[in-house]
Amino acid sequence: MTIDRARFDQGLTYEAFKAQMTRNRERLEENEKRVDLAKENVAAFRALPRPVKVVVLAEDWCGDVIANLPVLGRLAQESGKLDVRVFLRDQNDDIMQRYLNKGQFKSIPVFVFFDEDFRELGHWIERPASVTEIRAKRRKEIFAAHPEFGSPDAPVDALPEEVRVRLQGELAKMREDTTKFANAEVVRELREIATRVAA
Amino acid sequence: MTPAHKVKITYCAECGYEPQTLDLAKALMLEFGARLSCIELIPWEGGTFEVSVDGQLIHSMKRDGGFGDGAAIKDAVRSRLTG
Repeated sequence: MTIDRARFDQGLTYEAFKAQMTRNRERLEENEKRVDLAKENVAAFRALPRPVKVVVLAEDWCGDVIANLPVLGRLAQESGKLDVRVFLRDQNDDIMQRYLNKGQFKSIPVFVFFDEDFRELGHWIERPASVTEIRAKRRKEIFAAHPEFGSPDAPVDALPEEVRVRLQGELAKMREDTTKFANAEVVRELREIATRVAA
Repeated sequence: MTPAHKVKITYCAECGYEPQTLDLAKALMLEFGARLSCIELIPWEGGTFEVSVDGQLIHSMKRDGGFGDGAAIKDAVRSRLTG
């Protein structure tokens, strides 16, 4: 199926998506507040020659949605150039099937950018590869620094509860420490797609 | 004395795997009742869905793919109980 104006209009606005969330809304809004947009990035989106429509596939239980959708939300708010509509992944499989990660996986969020005539400019899935890479590297470093955590590939249920809780804390801190980099990478990749819109 | 058999289900809480986790826990409760000393549910991250019995991993989404076949997981638990 292709996205046309009628289908686009069936999606939820960003605010409506937030309003229907049954979980994680607080986390999403906290992330939204903490997105630090560089002036030149906001300027680049404001300078888009025409508004851009963005179809989003999301669900409120997904960590990558909670982390990355607020970045898009803030770019839309601050630039006034992005018209965002959110479709719930599990109710819109026809759209999902067009944007499977590696042709196989229903990874979300998916952001699909269109010009006003619904010609696709490009799409973005889940999270930047650079973020996956740096977090995998930091994760290995955590395990190397804490032999009590065992092997990074071993099931965590074998760890004593108090060790598991400490590991969870270290991983959360690592994610926190890499959030600024992650958000900047999301903005960089989204800017690259959005600026393909022709004057 | 009956040996204590413990099942642990580690699931990705960020991925919304709670329904599958609860379905499996319920299936094991109904099938094995008090023959299991404990079913522990461990909220985790990173797309994890793992089931172990007495420390032996019997299903892993990363290793085996998906949430596993409920009947096969029950068989694996049963073999631990009777083994």
